Amino acid sequence: MKRAPARLGLLERARLWLDEPQPIARLGFLRAAIPLVVLGFLSSRLVHADDWLSPVGFRVPYLGGNDWRQPLYLPAVPAPVAWAIAVALVLAGICLAAGLFTRPAAALFTFLLVYVALADRLEAFTVSKLAPMLSLALLVSPSGARYGIDAWRQARRHPDAPAPTHVSGGVIRFFQVLLVVMYSGAGIAKLRGGWLSSDVLWSHLHDDYQTSVAWLLMRTLPQGAWQGLQILTLAFEVGAPLWFALRWTRRPAFYVGLGMHAMIGLMFGPVVWFGLLMGVLLIGSYASWFVVPQTRR
Amino acid sequence: MLAAGVVYLLAVWLDAIGTGIPTQVLPRPVRFFVQEAALFPHAATEVVEWRVEGWMCAEQHFAEIDVRPFFPIRRDDKESRFYRAMFFHHRERKVMQALDEYIVRRQNSADPERRIGGVLLLSLRVPIPPPGSAEPRYQRLPLSSFPPAIERSYWYITGTEVRSQRCSESP
Repeated sequence: MKRAPARLGLLERARLWLDEPQPIARLGFLRAAIPLVVLGFLSSRLVHADDWLSPVGFRVPYLGGNDWRQPLYLPAVPAPVAWAIAVALVLAGICLAAGLFTRPAAALFTFLLVYVALADRLEAFTVSKLAPMLSLALLVSPSGARYGIDAWRQARRHPDAPAPTHVSGGVIRFFQVLLVVMYSGAGIAKLRGGWLSSDVLWSHLHDDYQTSVAWLLMRTLPQGAWQGLQILTLAFEVGAPLWFALRWTRRPAFYVGLGMHAMIGLMFGPVVWFGLLMGVLLIGSYASWFVVPQTRR
Repeated sequence: MLAAGVVYLLAVWLDAIGTGIPTQVLPRPVRFFVQEAALFPHAATEVVEWRVEGWMCAEQHFAEIDVRPFFPIRRDDKESRFYRAMFFHHRERKVMQALDEYIVRRQNSADPERRIGGVLLLSLRVPIPPPGSAEPRYQRLPLSSFPPAIERSYWYITGTEVRSQRCSESP
Protein backbone atom coordinates (compact mmCIF):
# COMPACT_ATOMS: atom_id res chain seq x y z
CA MET A 1 0.00 0.00 0.00
CA LYS A 2 1.38 3.40 -1.01
CA ARG A 3 1.70 6.05 1.63
CA ALA A 4 -0.11 9.33 0.96
CA PRO A 5 2.09 12.44 1.20
CA ALA A 6 2.00 13.85 4.71
CA ARG A 7 0.88 17.32 3.62
CA LEU A 8 -2.48 16.05 2.30
CA GLY A 9 -5.57 16.69 4.39
CA LEU A 10 -7.46 13.87 6.11
CA LEU A 11 -10.29 13.81 3.57
CA GLU A 12 -7.88 13.78 0.66
CA ARG A 13 -5.92 10.92 2.22
CA ALA A 14 -9.16 9.00 2.79
CA ARG A 15 -10.13 9.56 -0.85
CA LEU A 16 -6.72 8.28 -2.03
CA TRP A 17 -7.04 5.24 0.22
CA LEU A 18 -10.53 4.56 -1.04
CA ASP A 19 -9.62 4.86 -4.71
CA GLU A 20 -6.39 2.90 -4.56
CA PRO A 21 -6.76 0.05 -7.09
CA GLN A 22 -7.16 -3.40 -5.56
CA PRO A 23 -6.40 -6.83 -7.06
CA ILE A 24 -9.43 -7.95 -9.04
CA ALA A 25 -8.80 -11.47 -7.71
CA ARG A 26 -10.24 -10.32 -4.38
CA LEU A 27 -13.48 -9.31 -6.05
CA GLY A 28 -13.54 -12.49 -8.14
CA PHE A 29 -13.15 -14.61 -5.01
CA LEU A 30 -15.90 -12.74 -3.15
CA ARG A 31 -18.25 -12.95 -6.15
CA ALA A 32 -17.72 -16.71 -6.44
CA ALA A 33 -17.87 -17.52 -2.73
CA ILE A 34 -20.52 -15.23 -1.20
CA PRO A 35 -23.52 -16.50 -3.23
CA LEU A 36 -22.52 -20.12 -2.62
CA VAL A 37 -22.30 -19.66 1.15
CA VAL A 38 -25.61 -17.77 1.18
CA LEU A 39 -27.25 -20.55 -0.84
CA GLY A 40 -25.74 -23.08 1.57
CA PHE A 41 -27.36 -21.24 4.47
CA LEU A 42 -30.67 -21.03 2.62
CA SER A 43 -30.57 -24.64 1.42
CA SER A 44 -32.48 -26.01 4.42
CA ARG A 45 -35.23 -23.44 3.68
CA LEU A 46 -35.14 -23.79 -0.10
CA VAL A 47 -35.90 -27.52 0.01
CA HIS A 48 -39.08 -26.66 1.96
CA ALA A 49 -40.01 -23.56 -0.06
CA ASP A 50 -43.75 -24.17 0.30
CA ASP A 51 -43.44 -24.56 4.05
CA TRP A 52 -41.33 -21.41 4.16
CA LEU A 53 -43.21 -18.92 2.01
CA SER A 54 -46.69 -20.29 1.33
CA PRO A 55 -49.71 -21.07 3.55
CA VAL A 56 -48.69 -24.74 3.55
CA GLY A 57 -46.45 -23.97 6.53
CA PHE A 58 -47.09 -21.99 9.70
CA ARG A 59 -47.32 -18.23 9.12
CA VAL A 60 -47.23 -15.50 11.73
CA PRO A 61 -50.39 -13.43 11.26
CA TYR A 62 -50.33 -9.69 10.62
CA LEU A 63 -49.43 -7.98 13.89
CA GLY A 64 -50.73 -4.51 13.15
CA GLY A 65 -47.77 -2.91 11.40
CA ASN A 66 -46.09 -1.58 14.52
CA ASP A 67 -44.22 -4.57 15.86
CA TRP A 68 -40.42 -4.92 15.86
CA ARG A 69 -40.78 -8.66 15.30
CA GLN A 70 -42.51 -8.03 11.98
CA PRO A 71 -40.50 -5.33 10.16
CA LEU A 72 -42.78 -5.58 7.12
CA TYR A 73 -45.78 -7.82 6.67
CA LEU A 74 -45.75 -9.63 3.35
CA PRO A 75 -48.58 -12.12 2.88
CA ALA A 76 -47.84 -15.73 1.96
CA VAL A 77 -47.63 -16.60 -1.72
CA PRO A 78 -49.21 -19.68 -3.33
CA ALA A 79 -47.06 -22.82 -3.11
CA PRO A 80 -46.12 -22.87 -6.85
CA VAL A 81 -44.93 -19.24 -6.54
CA ALA A 82 -42.89 -20.20 -3.46
CA TRP A 83 -41.19 -22.94 -5.46
CA ALA A 84 -40.59 -20.55 -8.37
CA ILE A 85 -38.93 -18.08 -5.97
CA ALA A 86 -36.71 -20.86 -4.61
CA VAL A 87 -35.66 -21.95 -8.10
CA ALA A 88 -34.99 -18.34 -9.17
CA LEU A 89 -32.94 -17.74 -6.03
CA VAL A 90 -30.79 -20.80 -6.68
CA LEU A 91 -30.30 -19.98 -10.37
CA ALA A 92 -29.47 -16.33 -9.67
CA GLY A 93 -26.98 -17.32 -6.96
CA ILE A 94 -25.27 -19.92 -9.13
CA CYS A 95 -25.09 -17.56 -12.12
CA LEU A 96 -23.60 -14.84 -9.92
CA ALA A 97 -21.03 -17.24 -8.48
CA ALA A 98 -20.10 -18.43 -11.98
CA GLY A 99 -19.95 -14.89 -13.36
CA LEU A 100 -22.65 -15.66 -15.92
CA PHE A 101 -24.94 -12.71 -16.76
CA THR A 102 -23.33 -11.33 -13.65
CA ARG A 103 -25.14 -8.03 -13.31
CA PRO A 104 -28.72 -9.25 -13.93
CA ALA A 105 -28.02 -12.28 -11.75
CA ALA A 106 -26.75 -10.06 -8.93
CA ALA A 107 -29.79 -7.78 -9.28
CA LEU A 108 -32.22 -10.70 -9.10
CA PHE A 109 -30.30 -12.35 -6.26
CA THR A 110 -30.31 -9.11 -4.24
CA PHE A 111 -34.02 -8.53 -4.81
CA LEU A 112 -34.98 -12.08 -3.84
CA LEU A 113 -32.74 -12.03 -0.75
CA VAL A 114 -34.46 -8.85 0.44
CA TYR A 115 -37.83 -10.43 -0.26
CA VAL A 116 -37.24 -13.70 1.62
CA ALA A 117 -35.68 -11.90 4.60
CA LEU A 118 -38.72 -9.66 4.97
CA ALA A 119 -41.35 -12.23 3.95
CA ASP A 120 -40.61 -14.46 6.88
CA ARG A 121 -39.00 -13.16 10.06
CA LEU A 122 -38.93 -16.65 11.56
CA GLU A 123 -36.32 -17.78 9.03
CA ALA A 124 -34.30 -14.55 8.99
CA PHE A 125 -30.93 -14.65 10.75
CA THR A 126 -27.72 -12.62 10.54
CA VAL A 127 -26.79 -14.18 7.20
CA SER A 128 -30.22 -13.21 5.83
CA LYS A 129 -29.68 -9.60 6.87
CA LEU A 130 -26.10 -9.36 5.66
CA ALA A 131 -26.51 -11.17 2.34
CA PRO A 132 -28.59 -8.55 0.42
CA MET A 133 -26.04 -5.82 1.09
CA LEU A 134 -23.14 -8.06 0.04
CA SER A 135 -25.00 -9.00 -3.11
CA LEU A 136 -25.76 -5.33 -3.80
CA ALA A 137 -22.05 -4.52 -3.49
CA LEU A 138 -21.32 -7.21 -6.08
CA LEU A 139 -24.06 -5.77 -8.30
CA VAL A 140 -22.68 -2.22 -8.37
CA SER A 141 -19.07 -3.33 -8.85
CA PRO A 142 -17.39 -4.84 -11.93
CA SER A 143 -17.48 -8.24 -10.22
CA GLY A 144 -17.98 -10.09 -13.52
CA ALA A 145 -15.00 -8.51 -15.25
CA ARG A 146 -12.77 -11.48 -14.54
CA TYR A 147 -12.77 -15.12 -13.34
CA GLY A 148 -16.16 -15.98 -14.73
CA ILE A 149 -18.10 -16.99 -17.81
CA ASP A 150 -18.87 -13.40 -18.83
CA ALA A 151 -15.16 -12.59 -18.69
CA TRP A 152 -14.30 -15.72 -20.67
CA ARG A 153 -16.81 -14.82 -23.38
CA GLN A 154 -15.47 -11.27 -23.46
CA ALA A 155 -11.93 -12.60 -23.88
CA ARG A 156 -13.02 -14.77 -26.78
CA ARG A 157 -14.61 -11.78 -28.49
CA HIS A 158 -11.56 -9.57 -27.91
CA PRO A 159 -8.53 -11.87 -27.64
CA ASP A 160 -6.07 -8.97 -27.83
CA ALA A 161 -7.59 -6.94 -25.02
CA PRO A 162 -5.55 -7.22 -21.80
CA ALA A 163 -7.28 -8.87 -18.87
CA PRO A 164 -7.96 -6.48 -15.99
CA THR A 165 -5.70 -7.09 -13.01
CA HIS A 166 -7.08 -4.47 -10.65
CA VAL A 167 -10.38 -2.89 -9.79
CA SER A 168 -11.16 0.57 -8.44
CA GLY A 169 -10.71 0.30 -4.69
CA GLY A 170 -14.18 1.33 -3.47
CA VAL A 171 -15.93 -2.02 -3.39
CA ILE A 172 -13.04 -3.87 -1.74
CA ARG A 173 -12.74 -1.05 0.78
CA PHE A 174 -16.46 -1.49 1.50
CA PHE A 175 -15.96 -5.17 2.34
CA GLN A 176 -12.85 -4.37 4.41
CA VAL A 177 -14.57 -1.65 6.41
CA LEU A 178 -17.74 -3.71 6.81
CA LEU A 179 -15.74 -6.46 8.51
CA VAL A 180 -14.07 -4.02 10.86
CA VAL A 181 -17.43 -2.39 11.61
CA MET A 182 -18.95 -5.79 12.37
CA TYR A 183 -16.08 -6.80 14.65
CA SER A 184 -15.90 -3.47 16.42
CA GLY A 185 -19.69 -3.22 16.90
CA ALA A 186 -19.85 -6.82 18.12
CA GLY A 187 -16.94 -6.25 20.50
CA ILE A 188 -18.45 -3.12 22.04
CA ALA A 189 -21.82 -4.90 22.37
CA LYS A 190 -20.03 -7.73 24.20
CA LEU A 191 -18.23 -5.26 26.46
CA ARG A 192 -21.55 -3.63 27.34
CA GLY A 193 -23.05 -7.08 27.80
CA GLY A 194 -21.65 -9.82 29.97
CA TRP A 195 -18.36 -10.84 28.38
CA LEU A 196 -16.23 -9.41 31.17
CA SER A 197 -18.38 -10.55 34.04
CA SER A 198 -19.98 -13.88 33.13
CA ASP A 199 -19.34 -17.14 31.29
CA VAL A 200 -21.08 -16.18 28.06
CA LEU A 201 -19.27 -18.63 25.76
CA TRP A 202 -19.76 -21.57 28.08
CA SER A 203 -23.42 -20.69 28.61
CA HIS A 204 -24.26 -20.95 24.91
CA LEU A 205 -22.91 -24.48 24.47
CA HIS A 206 -25.66 -26.48 26.13
CA ASP A 207 -28.60 -26.52 23.76
CA ASP A 208 -29.31 -28.10 20.40
CA TYR A 209 -26.66 -25.93 18.69
CA GLN A 210 -24.08 -28.06 20.51
CA THR A 211 -21.83 -29.96 18.09
CA SER A 212 -19.58 -32.91 18.90
CA VAL A 213 -16.59 -30.53 18.73
CA ALA A 214 -18.24 -28.23 21.27
CA TRP A 215 -19.00 -31.13 23.56
CA LEU A 216 -15.42 -32.43 23.27
CA LEU A 217 -14.02 -29.01 24.15
CA MET A 218 -16.44 -28.67 27.06
CA ARG A 219 -15.08 -31.89 28.48
CA THR A 220 -11.38 -31.26 27.81
CA LEU A 221 -10.65 -27.53 28.15
CA PRO A 222 -9.73 -26.37 31.64
CA GLN A 223 -12.30 -24.17 33.37
CA GLY A 224 -10.32 -20.94 32.88
CA ALA A 225 -9.90 -21.51 29.13
CA TRP A 226 -13.40 -20.22 28.42
CA GLN A 227 -12.66 -16.88 30.09
CA GLY A 228 -9.37 -16.79 28.16
CA LEU A 229 -11.20 -17.29 24.87
CA GLN A 230 -13.67 -14.55 25.81
CA ILE A 231 -10.86 -12.08 26.54
CA LEU A 232 -9.09 -12.98 23.28
CA THR A 233 -12.34 -12.46 21.36
CA LEU A 234 -12.97 -9.13 23.07
CA ALA A 235 -9.43 -7.90 22.42
CA PHE A 236 -9.67 -8.94 18.77
CA GLU A 237 -13.10 -7.44 18.13
CA VAL A 238 -12.86 -4.20 20.10
CA GLY A 239 -9.38 -3.53 18.73
CA ALA A 240 -10.23 -4.59 15.15
CA PRO A 241 -10.05 -1.05 13.69
CA LEU A 242 -6.48 -0.81 14.97
CA TRP A 243 -5.41 -4.38 14.19
CA PHE A 244 -6.56 -4.13 10.57
CA ALA A 245 -5.34 -0.57 10.04
CA LEU A 246 -1.75 -1.23 11.09
CA ARG A 247 0.30 -3.18 8.58
CA TRP A 248 2.25 -5.20 11.18
CA THR A 249 -0.83 -6.36 13.09
CA ARG A 250 -2.99 -7.07 10.04
CA ARG A 251 -1.65 -10.56 9.39
CA PRO A 252 -1.96 -11.84 13.00
CA ALA A 253 -5.44 -10.28 13.16
CA PHE A 254 -6.36 -12.08 9.94
CA TYR A 255 -5.41 -15.46 11.39
CA VAL A 256 -7.06 -14.78 14.77
CA GLY A 257 -10.23 -13.81 12.88
CA LEU A 258 -10.10 -16.96 10.76
CA GLY A 259 -9.61 -19.04 13.90
CA MET A 260 -12.55 -17.35 15.60
CA HIS A 261 -14.85 -17.99 12.65
CA ALA A 262 -13.65 -21.59 12.42
CA MET A 263 -14.45 -22.08 16.12
CA ILE A 264 -17.91 -20.55 15.66
CA GLY A 265 -18.56 -22.82 12.70
CA LEU A 266 -17.37 -25.94 14.47
CA MET A 267 -19.07 -25.34 17.81
CA PHE A 268 -22.48 -23.88 17.07
CA GLY A 269 -24.26 -26.20 14.63
CA PRO A 270 -26.20 -24.20 12.04
CA VAL A 271 -24.16 -21.07 12.79
CA VAL A 272 -21.53 -22.68 10.55
CA TRP A 273 -22.94 -20.68 7.62
CA PHE A 274 -22.41 -17.40 9.42
CA GLY A 275 -18.85 -18.49 10.31
CA LEU A 276 -18.22 -19.41 6.68
CA LEU A 277 -19.62 -16.13 5.36
CA MET A 278 -17.49 -14.07 7.71
CA GLY A 279 -14.47 -16.25 6.89
CA VAL A 280 -15.04 -15.68 3.16
CA LEU A 281 -15.31 -11.92 3.73
CA LEU A 282 -12.14 -11.96 5.79
CA ILE A 283 -10.19 -13.91 3.17
CA GLY A 284 -11.49 -11.85 0.25
CA SER A 285 -10.84 -8.58 2.04
CA TYR A 286 -7.54 -9.13 3.79
CA ALA A 287 -5.71 -12.28 2.65
CA SER A 288 -2.35 -11.35 1.20
CA TRP A 289 -2.57 -14.28 -1.25
CA PHE A 290 -4.43 -12.11 -3.75
CA VAL A 291 -1.72 -9.47 -4.00
CA VAL A 292 -0.03 -11.12 -6.96
CA PRO A 293 0.04 -9.65 -10.49
CA GLN A 294 -2.59 -11.52 -12.51
CA THR A 295 -1.74 -12.30 -16.10
CA ARG A 296 -4.13 -15.07 -17.06
CA ARG A 297 -7.82 -14.71 -17.63
CA MET B 1 -23.26 4.99 -3.84
CA LEU B 2 -20.39 6.05 -1.58
CA ALA B 3 -22.79 7.97 0.66
CA ALA B 4 -25.18 5.00 0.84
CA GLY B 5 -22.30 2.70 1.79
CA VAL B 6 -21.11 5.07 4.52
CA VAL B 7 -24.64 5.44 5.94
CA TYR B 8 -25.10 1.66 5.97
CA LEU B 9 -21.78 1.02 7.73
CA LEU B 10 -22.44 3.75 10.25
CA ALA B 11 -25.93 2.41 10.93
CA VAL B 12 -24.63 -1.14 11.51
CA TRP B 13 -22.04 0.15 13.97
CA LEU B 14 -24.33 2.57 15.80
CA ASP B 15 -26.94 -0.14 16.20
CA ALA B 16 -24.43 -2.69 17.50
CA ILE B 17 -22.95 -0.40 20.12
CA GLY B 18 -26.41 0.32 21.47
CA THR B 19 -26.90 4.02 20.65
CA GLY B 20 -30.45 3.43 19.47
CA ILE B 21 -30.00 6.03 16.73
CA PRO B 22 -30.83 3.70 13.81
CA THR B 23 -34.00 2.68 15.67
CA GLN B 24 -35.05 6.33 15.83
CA VAL B 25 -34.24 7.39 12.29
CA LEU B 26 -34.58 4.39 9.99
CA PRO B 27 -37.89 2.91 8.79
CA ARG B 28 -38.48 -0.53 10.32
CA PRO B 29 -37.82 -2.63 7.17
CA VAL B 30 -34.51 -0.82 6.59
CA ARG B 31 -33.52 -0.95 10.26
CA PHE B 32 -34.00 -4.72 10.16
CA PHE B 33 -31.05 -5.05 7.75
CA VAL B 34 -28.61 -3.15 9.96
CA GLN B 35 -29.38 -5.07 13.18
CA GLU B 36 -26.73 -7.70 12.57
CA ALA B 37 -23.53 -7.17 14.56
CA ALA B 38 -24.49 -7.35 18.25
CA LEU B 39 -24.40 -11.13 18.53
CA PHE B 40 -24.56 -13.04 21.82
CA PRO B 41 -23.71 -10.11 24.12
CA HIS B 42 -25.15 -11.79 27.22
CA ALA B 43 -24.80 -15.16 28.91
CA ALA B 44 -27.72 -17.57 28.68
CA THR B 45 -29.14 -18.16 32.13
CA GLU B 46 -30.73 -21.48 31.20
CA VAL B 47 -31.53 -23.65 28.21
CA VAL B 48 -35.11 -23.06 27.09
CA GLU B 49 -37.03 -26.01 25.64
CA TRP B 50 -40.33 -25.20 23.91
CA ARG B 51 -42.86 -28.03 23.97
CA VAL B 52 -46.46 -28.87 23.07
CA GLU B 53 -49.05 -31.00 24.79
CA GLY B 54 -52.14 -31.93 22.81
CA TRP B 55 -55.63 -32.45 24.20
CA MET B 56 -56.33 -36.07 23.30
CA CYS B 57 -59.93 -36.31 22.19
CA ALA B 58 -60.18 -40.04 22.94
CA GLU B 59 -58.58 -40.01 26.38
CA GLN B 60 -59.69 -36.49 27.39
CA HIS B 61 -56.34 -35.41 28.78
CA PHE B 62 -53.19 -33.56 27.71
CA ALA B 63 -50.17 -35.53 26.51
CA GLU B 64 -46.98 -34.43 24.79
CA ILE B 65 -47.03 -34.44 21.00
CA ASP B 66 -43.96 -34.17 18.80
CA VAL B 67 -44.61 -31.25 16.46
CA ARG B 68 -41.25 -31.41 14.67
CA PRO B 69 -42.69 -33.10 11.55
CA PHE B 70 -45.06 -30.13 11.14
CA PHE B 71 -42.16 -27.67 11.06
CA PRO B 72 -39.74 -29.41 8.71
CA ILE B 73 -37.27 -26.54 8.23
CA ARG B 74 -34.38 -27.30 10.62
CA ARG B 75 -36.85 -29.33 12.63
CA ASP B 76 -34.35 -30.57 15.23
CA ASP B 77 -32.79 -27.35 16.44
CA LYS B 78 -33.78 -23.93 17.68
CA GLU B 79 -33.91 -22.55 14.14
CA SER B 80 -37.13 -24.54 13.67
CA ARG B 81 -40.16 -22.40 12.90
CA PHE B 82 -41.91 -23.67 16.01
CA TYR B 83 -39.03 -22.64 18.27
CA ARG B 84 -38.73 -19.29 16.52
CA ALA B 85 -42.48 -18.63 16.75
CA MET B 86 -42.45 -19.45 20.47
CA PHE B 87 -39.24 -17.49 21.08
CA PHE B 88 -40.54 -14.30 19.46
CA HIS B 89 -44.26 -14.51 20.16
CA HIS B 90 -44.96 -16.59 23.28
CA ARG B 91 -46.71 -13.59 24.86
CA GLU B 92 -48.64 -12.70 21.68
CA ARG B 93 -52.06 -14.35 21.91
CA LYS B 94 -52.86 -13.81 18.24
CA VAL B 95 -49.79 -15.80 17.19
CA MET B 96 -50.42 -18.49 19.81
CA GLN B 97 -53.95 -18.94 18.46
CA ALA B 98 -52.61 -19.25 14.91
CA LEU B 99 -50.09 -21.81 16.17
CA ASP B 100 -52.88 -23.69 17.98
CA GLU B 101 -54.98 -23.92 14.79
CA TYR B 102 -51.99 -24.94 12.68
CA ILE B 103 -50.80 -27.69 15.05
CA VAL B 104 -54.30 -29.12 15.54
CA ARG B 105 -54.90 -29.19 11.77
CA ARG B 106 -51.55 -30.83 11.02
CA GLN B 107 -51.77 -33.36 13.87
CA ASN B 108 -55.33 -34.42 12.98
CA SER B 109 -54.45 -34.73 9.34
CA ALA B 110 -51.24 -36.70 10.03
CA ASP B 111 -52.73 -39.02 12.65
CA PRO B 112 -56.55 -39.17 12.46
CA GLU B 113 -56.57 -42.02 15.00
CA ARG B 114 -54.99 -39.77 17.61
CA ARG B 115 -57.03 -36.59 17.17
CA ILE B 116 -56.45 -33.56 19.36
CA GLY B 117 -58.84 -30.76 20.19
CA GLY B 118 -56.33 -28.18 21.34
CA VAL B 119 -52.86 -27.52 22.66
CA LEU B 120 -50.93 -26.48 25.71
CA LEU B 121 -47.82 -24.50 24.71
CA LEU B 122 -45.11 -24.44 27.33
CA SER B 123 -41.44 -23.90 28.01
CA LEU B 124 -38.95 -25.56 30.31
CA ARG B 125 -35.97 -23.72 31.73
CA VAL B 126 -33.09 -26.12 32.22
CA PRO B 127 -30.29 -24.72 34.41
CA ILE B 128 -26.80 -24.44 32.91
CA PRO B 129 -24.06 -26.05 35.04
CA PRO B 130 -20.95 -24.02 36.00
CA PRO B 131 -17.91 -24.13 33.67
CA GLY B 132 -15.91 -27.32 33.86
CA SER B 133 -18.82 -29.51 34.92
CA ALA B 134 -19.03 -32.90 33.28
CA GLU B 135 -22.38 -33.30 31.60
CA PRO B 136 -23.84 -35.63 28.99
CA ARG B 137 -24.10 -34.60 25.33
CA TYR B 138 -27.26 -32.59 24.59
CA GLN B 139 -30.18 -34.68 23.42
CA ARG B 140 -33.86 -33.99 23.06
CA LEU B 141 -35.72 -35.66 25.90
CA PRO B 142 -39.43 -36.37 26.21
CA LEU B 143 -41.31 -34.03 28.51
CA SER B 144 -41.84 -36.83 31.00
CA SER B 145 -38.06 -37.22 31.47
CA PHE B 146 -37.60 -33.78 32.99
CA PRO B 147 -37.68 -33.81 36.79
CA PRO B 148 -40.34 -31.72 38.56
CA ALA B 149 -37.61 -29.34 39.74
CA ILE B 150 -37.21 -28.01 36.18
CA GLU B 151 -39.26 -24.83 35.92
CA ARG B 152 -42.18 -24.98 33.50
CA SER B 153 -44.05 -21.97 32.11
CA TYR B 154 -47.42 -22.39 30.42
CA TRP B 155 -47.98 -19.76 27.75
CA TYR B 156 -51.17 -20.80 26.02
CA ILE B 157 -53.98 -23.29 26.42
CA THR B 158 -56.88 -23.86 24.05
CA GLY B 159 -60.19 -23.04 25.72
CA THR B 160 -62.41 -25.91 26.95
CA GLU B 161 -65.26 -25.06 24.57
CA VAL B 162 -63.01 -24.95 21.53
CA ARG B 163 -61.44 -28.28 22.51
CA SER B 164 -64.87 -29.91 22.91
CA GLN B 165 -66.10 -28.48 19.64
CA ARG B 166 -63.05 -29.65 17.70
CA CYS B 167 -63.20 -33.11 19.27
CA SER B 168 -66.88 -33.46 18.37
CA GLU B 169 -66.25 -32.60 14.71
CA SER B 170 -66.05 -35.58 12.41
CA PRO B 171 -62.56 -36.22 10.99
